[in-house]
Formats: sequence, structure tokens, C-alpha cells
Amino acid sequence: MLAKAAARRGLKPLWNVQLQRGFATVQDPPVRHYGGLKDQDRIFTNLYSRHDHGLKGAQSRGDWHRTKDILAKGDSWIIQTMKDSGLRGRGGAGFPSGLKWSFMNKPGWEKDPRPRYLVVNADEGEPGTCKDREIMRGDPHKLVEGCLVAGRAMNATAAYIYIRGEFYQEASHVQQAIDEAYKAGLIGKNACGSGYKFDVYLHRGAGAYICGEETALIESLEGKQGKPRLKPPFPADVGLFGCPSTVANVETVSVAPTICRRGGKWFASFGRERNQGTKLFCISGHVNNPCTIEEEMSIPLKELVEKHCGGVRGGWDNLLGIIPGGSSVPILPIKKCEEVLMDFDSLKDAQSGLGTGAVIVMDKSTDVVAAIARFAHFYKHESCGQCTPCREGTTWMMNMMDRFAEGRGQEREIDMLLELTKQVEGRTICALGDAAAWPIQGLMRHFRPEVEKRLAQFKAANGPVLFGGRLQRDVPSELAIPDNMGPERPEQQLPPPPAAA
Amino acid sequence: MTTIPARLAKRAVAHTSLASARADVLALYRDFYRAAPEICDTYALDIPPSLVRTRYRQEFERNKHVTDLKVLDVLILKGRQEYQEVMNTWKMRAQLLGFIMAPIERQGQHPKGFLDSFYTGKDELAVLPMSP
Amino acid sequence: MLRLGAKRALRSGAASRGFQTSSKRSADVTLTVDGKSVTVPQGTALIQACEAAGVTIPRFCYHDRLAIAGNCRMCLVEVARSPKPVASCAMPAMPGAQVFTNTPMVHEAREGVMEFLLANHPLDCPICDQGGECDLQDQSMRYGSDRTRFHEITGKRAVENKDFGPLVKTVMNRCIQCTRCVRFANEVAGVEELGTTGRGNDLQIGMYVEKVMDSELSGNVVDLCPVGALTSKPYAFHARPWELKDTESIDVMDAVGSNINVQSRGPKVMRVQPRTNEDVNEEWISDKTRYAYDGLQFQRLMTPLVRQGDRFIPASWEGALTAIRAGLTNSGAQGNSIKAIAGALADTESLVALKDWINNLGSDNTALDCAGGSEPPAATVDVRSNYLFNATIPALEQADAILLVGTNPRHEAAVMNSRIRKSYLHTGLEVGFIGERAETTYEYEYLGADLKAVDEFVKSKNGFAAKFKEAKKPMIVVGSALTEHPDGKAALKTLAKYVQANKGKMLTPEWNGFCVLQRHASRAAAYDIGFVPTASAAKATPSFVYLLSADDVDPKSIPESAFVVYQGSHGDLGAQIADVVLPGAAYTEKGMTWVNTEGRAQMGRAAVSIPGAAREDWKIIRALSEVCGEPLPYDDIVQLRDRMWEVSPTLVRYDSAEPTSVDVAQLGLAQMANALTPAKASGKPFEKPIKNFYMTDPISRASVTMAHCTKAFVKGEGYGLSKDETAAQASFA
Repeated sequence: MLAKAAARRGLKPLWNVQLQRGFATVQDPPVRHYGGLKDQDRIFTNLYSRHDHGLKGAQSRGDWHRTKDILAKGDSWIIQTMKDSGLRGRGGAGFPSGLKWSFMNKPGWEKDPRPRYLVVNADEGEPGTCKDREIMRGDPHKLVEGCLVAGRAMNATAAYIYIRGEFYQEASHVQQAIDEAYKAGLIGKNACGSGYKFDVYLHRGAGAYICGEETALIESLEGKQGKPRLKPPFPADVGLFGCPSTVANVETVSVAPTICRRGGKWFASFGRERNQGTKLFCISGHVNNPCTIEEEMSIPLKELVEKHCGGVRGGWDNLLGIIPGGSSVPILPIKKCEEVLMDFDSLKDAQSGLGTGAVIVMDKSTDVVAAIARFAHFYKHESCGQCTPCREGTTWMMNMMDRFAEGRGQEREIDMLLELTKQVEGRTICALGDAAAWPIQGLMRHFRPEVEKRLAQFKAANGPVLFGGRLQRDVPSELAIPDNMGPERPEQQLPPPPAAA
Repeated sequence: MTTIPARLAKRAVAHTSLASARADVLALYRDFYRAAPEICDTYALDIPPSLVRTRYRQEFERNKHVTDLKVLDVLILKGRQEYQEVMNTWKMRAQLLGFIMAPIERQGQHPKGFLDSFYTGKDELAVLPMSP
Repeated sequence: MLRLGAKRALRSGAASRGFQTSSKRSADVTLTVDGKSVTVPQGTALIQACEAAGVTIPRFCYHDRLAIAGNCRMCLVEVARSPKPVASCAMPAMPGAQVFTNTPMVHEAREGVMEFLLANHPLDCPICDQGGECDLQDQSMRYGSDRTRFHEITGKRAVENKDFGPLVKTVMNRCIQCTRCVRFANEVAGVEELGTTGRGNDLQIGMYVEKVMDSELSGNVVDLCPVGALTSKPYAFHARPWELKDTESIDVMDAVGSNINVQSRGPKVMRVQPRTNEDVNEEWISDKTRYAYDGLQFQRLMTPLVRQGDRFIPASWEGALTAIRAGLTNSGAQGNSIKAIAGALADTESLVALKDWINNLGSDNTALDCAGGSEPPAATVDVRSNYLFNATIPALEQADAILLVGTNPRHEAAVMNSRIRKSYLHTGLEVGFIGERAETTYEYEYLGADLKAVDEFVKSKNGFAAKFKEAKKPMIVVGSALTEHPDGKAALKTLAKYVQANKGKMLTPEWNGFCVLQRHASRAAAYDIGFVPTASAAKATPSFVYLLSADDVDPKSIPESAFVVYQGSHGDLGAQIADVVLPGAAYTEKGMTWVNTEGRAQMGRAAVSIPGAAREDWKIIRALSEVCGEPLPYDDIVQLRDRMWEVSPTLVRYDSAEPTSVDVAQLGLAQMANALTPAKASGKPFEKPIKNFYMTDPISRASVTMAHCTKAFVKGEGYGLSKDETAAQASFA
């Protein structure tokens, strides 16, 4: 009975359930605790650029080891391995990679005369995220080799690495890696001696966040304005230069060779079901030791922060909230932070998301309203302006958040703002609209009292505020203010209750 | 100048005998007859009052055969309305001129043959613009 | 690169263009819209499927002739098993899909989008020219709230207005960034400079640099703009749509015969808008068609004029016609010395009447108002296919190789040019070009400028000639200027032989690849009627000349002693040399037949009444014939059309372009191929017949707007209106 109730609660993490186990649930498997990735299981062994990032250093770390054999196993083997590994895209959306790559090899793809492209999304622009740049700085050969393996899996003719324009050093390292690989015959006409022709090109972007969206990235790569395309058709049908393409994140591509070498089973042994593998987490904000660290998926958030970052500044109790997956996901309050696991499903259940794995920690000194207002600024600035809800909505939301950060607003406007976020969410061409809406929703979900307090303070200091932020005292008293401007009215005299008969 | 809607207004009468109707018709005719100089004056018409009288008389004579009392009632009422409109300057000058000059204009109206209608520009078969 | 990009645009759009593209019509899909089952061709956009089911979907950015942008988000609908509402313009119809357009989610989505659109849209409908025909206004009545929630102290967005030239007025505050204009300019008009700059809320439509929008189709963006951001400059603040009377008519500014809607208020034409006709102009018209209407107000002939000494004296019709009778008698003109010259704007009815009358007077000297028009034509006109655009206009999109000879379709038939561009962007169309180099809106392979290039093309085995040989549906477009060229006969002879040699491809029952592109509205009809001189008549010296709307005629070609009558609507060049001037009606004032370059007879309709004492043209000739003694046997238009039927039934078979049968067309080609040509070619290059697109006929020459266009686009000067207008716009903006 008890167990059933626990199961119904569902959201509770497993180890808590264990405590409530009753006699009817003997068959529950022993619950595993995730985290504590061992050094021999790390994929990115030069994350901090302590060693040589060149070809020699990379080969000493195991890169390019028998890549020819992997290629020789064929596309379906690689894709099957990826499927077995349970790898989900590391760019934020978490789409199963093996499945995505298999879209390129539809029945009859050989008859299609068009070239086929792998596009690597190295436009890492998500605030708080710094994982791809570490890979490209320290382990560029993992990326180049990943391009080759992933490219082989989807029978691509070439890979384009679209790197963020600001990443100058990273771009030079990747370019160096590409040049070395060409020279060593690892890629090019006869990649690794496998007879497979594969080219890798590096393209530097010009610094637009939206170009990290896959179709906008393709547009930008084609030399046009980086504006997301409509889907369908999906890039796997009509992508870069009108040819079948797949856009994949740097991390996703870079882990592919290692997975192929060590087997899908090995990779799948980490993390919970459907969230397997290792992942780079970037912890920033109010922690003692911000870092980028490769860890097992499903590691508890608290453990991640405590173990690798030296804990929250001023102790765990000084924590205000954590944004667990980059600026695009809702914030979590301290209570939730204690219980969530860092994986796609657990965070989704907590009404947030894993995103890129960029953990932004905020302690009690943070003005959380201003912080989210800053995010709103970011999304307003980065909206491409193509579709209406995002173009108009991000600006409107930014204006309102700016006012709330100051306290200049009405309580009723909080609900209005929430309604606006709902009008943007899911109505846009790409996910930027969602990303702009979620942080505000998260703020209002968990920190609404904070916002209300701010409004009350402002009102106490400056008098009533009309809708839109104008102060009532600034409006000439002889002017009639319409109701929909939300003026404060004197308490209405209620008619006396009818005398009892 | 303010307009008094009721000025010169007459109530419609259901006549019971031809005699009473006749009296009303004569009264109306007399009103028009006497008003002729004033009409020419008010509307700045460059025509002698006699022409106005003749024109109105023509209208009366056009209906002289009417003996049906109900028809007479309507005609008298319409005549009174006309009188009221003319005297109150509720008509435009062009309207009144059109009325007075109509029979004169109408003379020789029906052009004979293509050329004639071409010259007069009165071409019933012309492709007229779709009515506005 | 751009071409590649545009190809992409199609491919992404192709899936949802099923209704337009005639190419692929494979399978049908059946889906349910609001519980109603509907079957549409595969690849149809959901929005069209909904339309087919009788459900109207609100939209701003979607336009069925442009690529899909999917950015206004107004057309959101709910599809079963989709968590989010989907943009119906961008989603292809899937078999078995269940679409709901009337659910709370859909309403909420549309109302949300509408609120966002209105948030930054100025509330200036009372002073906006789009008022009354504004998509945003209409749809906000349905989906908008009656009061706003937008009170931000930061205020609304303000955008600087752009200067697009004398035709398109911009009020960029009103722009909702639907990018219809950008897509039109890039895909149809070929103005690749129009685009968006900035991003997010600062996204702006503009020419990237300060520059006017130089296109002969630019006026169409005014129709496309769903709000009042792009409005018509000449029409600004002139009328409201509900005051205007619509008259469906036919354009005469070129030989395309674009279907137009003449909108008038009282006796005045206020504006001209396109009317959809898939076979002719789709939905576009050229700027000359759209904006030359103000020329109808100026330089009009209102009353008959008779020359006395060095001046014209107004006369009555009787006086004028009698003067002509006297002139005809006194000039002693007999037989072929009586000459009639028909101009570009002569309607078919008057051409028939004039030819009948001139023939009754014993003359065969019926000439045309163009270079060489007084000679028998270069291509014999016994067979229709020798002077018509045989393949028809829509076929431009099926051709996979086009050779343009002595023509610049961009200026001679701007709307047809857009079809070539469409085909160029979306298929592998190859274009070859012989003649004076012209700026077309597509790439072409330049083969030369004169007769030599034609000969080389026929002989050559590589380059464009090889591609042309391999093409499945090759098309040769011969400009009307070629027939007026001294080497025209020789060029036509060579081409006719080429077509004969390749008749397997170029002349089949399905495809006639030899096309002549006329540039004057009256020309095809004139050839149909046989309004050309016989060889013997051409030699006669005229002593009585009747100019029917002929304004391009060279005064020196008419003997000093000849008695000249001019009949037409405008006091232009032709009237200056006349002894008697007869005022006729302009194309908006008469319901007449026009035959376009395909040989398609179309009926124009009178929108306004004829000014002054002017008369319908055929009636003037009919009256004159009576005055001169031998009345023509028709008194009304019905009898005249019976006569037209006798002359050529195609003249009264309205709205259809009748193809010439292969056998007959071959006869025509044989005539051309066997024509006697001068032994020595002149070697002169084929020149562009139209130097200034904006001024080609009396109406456009009288138009102030066209004068501004000439200044801004042809001469490239800053035009007068612009500076004052910015000041005026600032004062009320």
C-alpha cells in the first residue's frame, strides 16, 4: 500500500523511495548511486589543456587509434553502437544521437546524387556554457576524429565545423588539428587509409547566439543571415546547400570515436536508463571553485557542486537557486536542488532541463529578479526578429522584467507577464522563444514572493504604479485614467446590505 | 438662416367630393401662380415669371383628366410638397431649372440615325461606364 | 550563390506549393479539417487544405505566389498528436492528419500573435492609406482585443522611413516584418537589394544602402503589403477604398494584356490594380500599367480641332467631319494614296472600322505606326503563328532553353519577364541573348548583337547553341523590334529555317517554340485584321493620311501637301502634324477588344465616362464614313463585332489564345524561310526598342508619375517629390 503511494508520487528520487520501502516491493533492484567518474573512464583527458593539444599529444592519449578499423566496420555498425550507447545529443535538446544519424541513411540514399554533410555546431553561445571550447582547445583531435567517425556513420562527404567567432584560440587549435590530420592522411582523399574520402572545413561565425540553432547555423554557413528555417523539411532531407545534412554538437561528435573504441555497452553503463553516458558539466557562479568537469550522467546536483566545485560560497545553506542547464532553462530553488539528478529526465520532472549542462549557481547575495531580467535582455538582443511572438515578445518581456527588477509594476502584471511567456512559448519557428520564456516562468514559479515584495517596496516608496510602469502621481490628476491602465481607486462604497425581511 | 421644417407644410387631406378637391387644386395653383416672381427672385432665374407659371400650369394640365379622389389626394399632397420645397429653398437651382427647362430641352430629342445621334452625343447604344 | 540560395528557398517551399506548380501532381492526400474530410494534392500546404475545406485561416506572411516564410505565426492551427500549434502555411498536408482550427488553443494562439503584432503597430489607421483594405485592421477585428495591454513606458518602436523612389511610399513604423515585399523583390522582381537588416525588434526592411527600389514591378509590393507600411505614393491621401468603383478591364501599356481593375471615383481614375489571371499576368502588373493612369488627366483632346493657318480652332463634330470630307476631296487622294496609320493604342474595333473604310475608298494602304510599318511586314502575316507568342505566356515556365533575339522582355513585357525569372530560379533554364545588351533579371549567355550572331547560333555546335539543341522544350523569343530592323527579314529567315530543321522539338502539337513578342497593345489585332499595306500600295505617295492613335510617326515621312487627320485621346506628337484632330476615348473610357501578344482576345471595360466631346473611336470612323458618302454597314457595337467575326473569329473568342495548328504554322515558317531578303546585310546591331520604359505612349508620356520615374530610375537623378515628401511625412508621422 505504502509502496503504491510512493510510486504514485513518482517524482521522488529513487533513493528516497528506498527509505519508504514496504514489504510488498522486495523485487526493487538495488538502487545505484551515480557520480564519481573514475579517471580511466574519462573521455576528455586534456580538458584543461595541460598537455599537448597537437596530433602527437592526442595520439598519446589514444586518439586516432585504429580509426581505420572503426571506419571499416561500416555505417550501420557505428550507428548501432551509438544507439547501444544511449548517447543523447549534448547540445541541449537531448535527441538520441544514433537515431538522428540514422535519418541520413534512409532507404535508397545511395541513389541521391547530392553531397551529404555533417555540420558540427561549435557555436557555443549559451550563457554559462563552456564545455565545447574546452574540448576544442585541449582535445581538438577528438573533434576531428569524431567528425570522421560520425561522417562515416551518416556517409557524409564532408564536415563543416561552425565555430563561434569569438573562439579565436579554439579556432586555431581546431584548424591546427585539421591541418595535422590532413598531413597525416587521417582525413582527406583516403581518410586513415580506409579509402573513404572525407573533408573537414572550419568556418568561423560572427557571434550571433541564434546561429547555434541548427537551421540558423546552416543559413549562416550558406552565407545568409542566421535565421532559423522552417521545419519540415528537416536538414536530413534539405540541409546545407540544399543537401542532406545533420547538425551535431561538438561534444556529441567528440565522444563518438571513444564510444566506438570502448563499445556502446561501456558508455551505457553510466547514468540512469535513457540518460546514459558521461557528460561535461560547467559549473559557474557562486561556488568556491567554478570548473568544467566530466562526470557521470545522473549525478546528484548537490554532489556535483559539493564534490567538484568546493561547494557553494558560504555553504549549501547560503544557496538561493541553481540554473541547471544554461540560461535557457528555468531556475530551481534550493529545495529542489537537493533532490534532482543531473540528467534529462530528472530535471524535466523538476520542471527544468539539463540543457547544455551549464550549472549556474546563485547564492543568497544574488538579486534573482535582476538576474532573470538580464537573461531577458540577452534573449531580446539575440532574437533574430523573424517571427512575431519572439520578436515582439522578447522585447516586451525584457521591458517588464526591467521594471520588476526595479519594482515598478503592479502585481497583476506578473500574471500578465506569465501569460505573455505562454504566448511566446511553443509559437515560434525555433526554440529561442521557449528559451526566452522559461527562465521567467521559472522565476515566477519559485520566486514570485520575491517579485511581489519588490513591487510592494516600490509602491510604498513611490505610490501606486499604473500598468506599463507609469507612476500615478506623474499623471495629472485632472486626467481620467482608464480602467485598463490599472489605477488605484479609493475603496468602493459597497451598498448597504438589504435589510433582512 | 434657420430652416423651419413645418413652414408651409399642409396636412394631407382625404377629399370626400370632387368639389372640395377642386377647391384645393385651385388654391395650390393660385399659390404657385403668385409665387412665380418670388421663385425667379430666390433662385436667381434668368427667365420671366410667366415662363414659370406656364411650366407649372403644364403640370396641372397634365393631370386634368384625373377624377379618382384617391389619386387626386396624392397629387394634391405632392403638389403641396413641391410648393413647400420650392418656397423654402430646399431645392437647388439646378434642380428647379431642370424642371422648368425640361420640355424645352426635350424638343428634338430623338436623334434620327447614327450620324444624328453621334453629333448630339446622345447615344443610347453607347457603352456606358458601369453605373457608379 | 544567390541563385543557389533561391533554389533552396523553393525546395523548402516546394512542398507546400502544390496548387501553383503544375509540374508534380502525384498523389492526393485526404485529411480532416474540423471534422470535415478534404482531399488535396500531395505537397499542399495545410493552409490551402483548410481553404479547400472552407475554413479561412488568418495570415500575414503567407502568399500563395511567394516562398513560404512562416514568420508571422498568425496561421497557427492545432493538429492532432502535436503538442504545439503548427504554422499551417509551412506544414505540408499529411494523409490522415486531423486539423482543428476552432479550438481554444488555436484562438488563444492567434490572439496572442495579434496582440504582439499590434504592440508595436502605431494606431494611425485614420491617416493610413491602407485603412479599409488592411489585413491587420480586418484581422484585428476578429482576433484582436478591444483594448491594449501594452502600456510600457518605453513606448512603441519607431523606425525611420525609407526612400524607395517615386512610386512606393514607406511608413516603416507600421511594418510587421512579414517580408512579403522582400520575397517578392527577390523572387519575382529580381531586386535582390531589398532585404532585412538588424535583428530582433530592430529588424528593418530596406535596401541595405540608401537607394531607390529600381524595378518595373515595384508597385506590386504595395498590393502585397498587408499593412500600411508600403503604400502607393502617387495615390497617397487621394481616396478611400470604399469610395472607389471597380471596373475589370485590360491594360494597354504593353502587349501582355494584363488584367487590371480600374478603380475610379466619379469621372476620375483613381488607381489601377492587378486582377488575377493565371494565364496572363498571374497577380502582377508593371509600374507603367499601375501608375500611368494620371496621364489620362493631362493633354487630353476634348473637342474636335481644325487647323487654320498655324493654329487649331475648336470645331463641332459636324464641322470637323465636313472639313475632313473637304480635305479628302481637295487633296485629290485616290486609291492607294489614301493612307491610314494605326498606332499602339488603337482598339480592335476601330482598326476594323478604319480598314473597312479605307478599303471602301479603294485603298490598300493601311500602315502601322512603327519603323518599317509602311512596308509589307518582314514576317508575312498570312499565318497567325508568324507574329504571335505561340507558346503562350505560361509556357515560359516550361521552357528549358530560351533564346531572346532583339528583345528585352524586362521592358517590353515586364510581367512576362518575371515568369522567365521564376523559371530561371526554380529550374535549370538557360537563356541566350542576341541584341543590344540589356539588364535582365536573370543571367544569360550573350551571343552577339546583330545578324551575324543569329547565323552563328544556327551553325554553332557548342556553348549555348549546343544546350539549346539538347533542350526538351526550346523557345525562341523574337522581339517585335526585329521585324522592324533592316536585317529583320534575314534574321527571321534564318530562324525559320532553324525551326524547320528542328521541328521535332520546336514545332509539335504540344509545343510551338517560335514566339514573337509584340510590344504594342494593338499590334497583334492589327496583324489579325491584316492592317498592313500590300506591296503595291506601299509604293504610293500618300496625299491623305489618317492617323489612328499614331504618335510615333515621323513627320518627315508624310508629304507636306498631304491632308492629315489625327484621331486619338491625347494631344501628342501625332496631333501636332494634323490638319484635323478628332478626340477619341482612352482605354479606360471604352469597352473594347484587345488582342495580346499570344493572340488572346480580351474585353476591356469602360470605367469612366469620356471627357468633353470625345467619342468612342470606332464611332468616329463610322460617322466619318457616312459624312464622306459611304456609310459603314454597322451602327452599333454588336454589328461591328459580327463584322469582326467575319474578319477573324479569334477576335471575338474572348479570353482564349487559340493555337495555330502545326501544319499551318509550318506554312508560315516556309513563307518566312523563302522570303526574299536583301542580298547584303546591313550589319547594324539589333537595338533595344524601348529606351525609357516609363514613357512609351501618349498616356505615359503625359503622366506626371512616369516623369518622376524617368527622372529617378532612367536618369538616376534625385526626383522632385522625395525631399518635400519626407518633410510632409515627418509632420504627421
